[in-house]
Amino acid sequence: MAFDIDRYTETSVSVNWSDLDLEVFRRDPLPESSLRTLRYMADVEYHTVCYTRDLLTTPSHREADVSAFMTMWNREEFWHGEALAAVLAVHDITVDYDALKANRMKLGWKDRLDPIKQSVLGGLVGQDFVAVHMSWGAANEWSAITAYQRMAELEEHPVLAELLRRIAKQEARHVAFYTSQARERLAANTKAQKVTRFALSRFWAPVGSSISTEDDVRHVMTHLMSGPEGRRSARKVDDSISGMPGLAGLTIVQDALDRLGVS
Amino acid sequence: MNPSTGVGRAPTVGRGPAPFDVRGFARTAQGSLRDEFDLEAIARAGLAPECRRTLAALAELEGATMAYLRNVLVTATHKDARVTAFLVSWAYEKYWIADALRRIAGEAEDPEDRAAGIATSGRGPVRRALAGFVQGFDVIGAHLALGYVDDLVLDLAYARLAAAAIPIATDPGAAGPALGDLIARIRAIKSRHTAFFEGETCRRLGASPRAARLARREIRRSPWPLGGAAVGAAERAAFVRFATSDGAAVAALARGIRSLPGLDDRTATAVVRRLGA
Repeated sequence: MAFDIDRYTETSVSVNWSDLDLEVFRRDPLPESSLRTLRYMADVEYHTVCYTRDLLTTPSHREADVSAFMTMWNREEFWHGEALAAVLAVHDITVDYDALKANRMKLGWKDRLDPIKQSVLGGLVGQDFVAVHMSWGAANEWSAITAYQRMAELEEHPVLAELLRRIAKQEARHVAFYTSQARERLAANTKAQKVTRFALSRFWAPVGSSISTEDDVRHVMTHLMSGPEGRRSARKVDDSISGMPGLAGLTIVQDALDRLGVS
Repeated sequence: MNPSTGVGRAPTVGRGPAPFDVRGFARTAQGSLRDEFDLEAIARAGLAPECRRTLAALAELEGATMAYLRNVLVTATHKDARVTAFLVSWAYEKYWIADALRRIAGEAEDPEDRAAGIATSGRGPVRRALAGFVQGFDVIGAHLALGYVDDLVLDLAYARLAAAAIPIATDPGAAGPALGDLIARIRAIKSRHTAFFEGETCRRLGASPRAARLARREIRRSPWPLGGAAVGAAERAAFVRFATSDGAAVAALARGIRSLPGLDDRTATAVVRRLGA
């Protein structure tokens, strides 16, 4: 079904947590390993605007719907970061702009080269590259929803579960946008399918890999995606991705878990 | 700020203004204006063609945030989480300003011309990213200076729309007051953007002669208004004619630019010249 961009922009709001009693975390704090995962999630959410940068270097920024979506998407993800930072703050973990800047500083050359690489590829492959971005975005948003759902299940903390449910609900709309865009661009375009298939299978890594240490990525993936339940969730994401035109058989999430040694 | 022109804000250097509260700004960002104003009624009331054309151009210029984001985020500016946090809400507010303006004025003219303008405007992301390697963190001040100057330029048009010097509507008293209220609201929303850009620019350009040098260069070589590529050449020219018809306002614009540390008369003159005023 086509994504209704007007309806999305009209109803886009920052996630609300003012009615949730975060003080319960003082009496019933989250374990350290969960806080580490939560911190990773907050970093990823705050970093969204930087992913936008990669997307904007390609032809897609010329399209009004994509611009409208990205404006709202950026803001929603920023507020997810703020919401998670509020939970971390109750645990005396400060995520301020200076800390985020310090993290971004650590990225070094790889990060600086990304927009160039993306742009050159975008220029070479042209409009078909937008299909890669949209499929990539869909894979990331599906992973994010799954990660939040897993976190809620694992912690069994009513306040955290409710907050993560609200965040995941917004992520579901992001999935809807990315999948509608990806499907449209992949359908009946075998070149776009081939390029997307190649890019996802060769380069996709769990969301946050490009801004975190491998240790942190492994920690989060082990925390959320290990064991039979975790693997089942990963398979579900893979099934969604491989259900898009021309992407049948892709198992990029499970492959990434295997590479990280998460079982 | 001169209330009749909306430009020529007093320089803040040496006043030590309180740091801009980015979190507070994000928390109180203004969304859609559709409920607050009867935009259809303003559109129906009939606008002078010159005003309608300017409003349509402003809608395109305000909505061109993605082009600005692309240009600045491929450089070190994306590392500064305080700046990116601001830009997220800034883009959101401008999206809804553009939405309100578009609902009043309708779509801008000559879309073909516009598409061509986008395809050929300015340096591409690769060149900017490569230049950003060398420019490092000083480029952030230059990017924020662009935001400040662009706000001053667009405010020339808002000021003229708000002023009673020209008939706002073909039937004065119909769209006039309602449109005036909307313009005042938009200028109030934008005043926070200007405050952020001005404060950050002053701080950064004042602290680094290199940042000031980069700012001078970026300002001189940029097309004004900044999102000018988003509108066609004819629409841009009409916009500039409308916005810069008052010599005093243009002089105030030049003063506003010169008020920033490190920005000289040559830079201000270059903006005025590039505007074609």
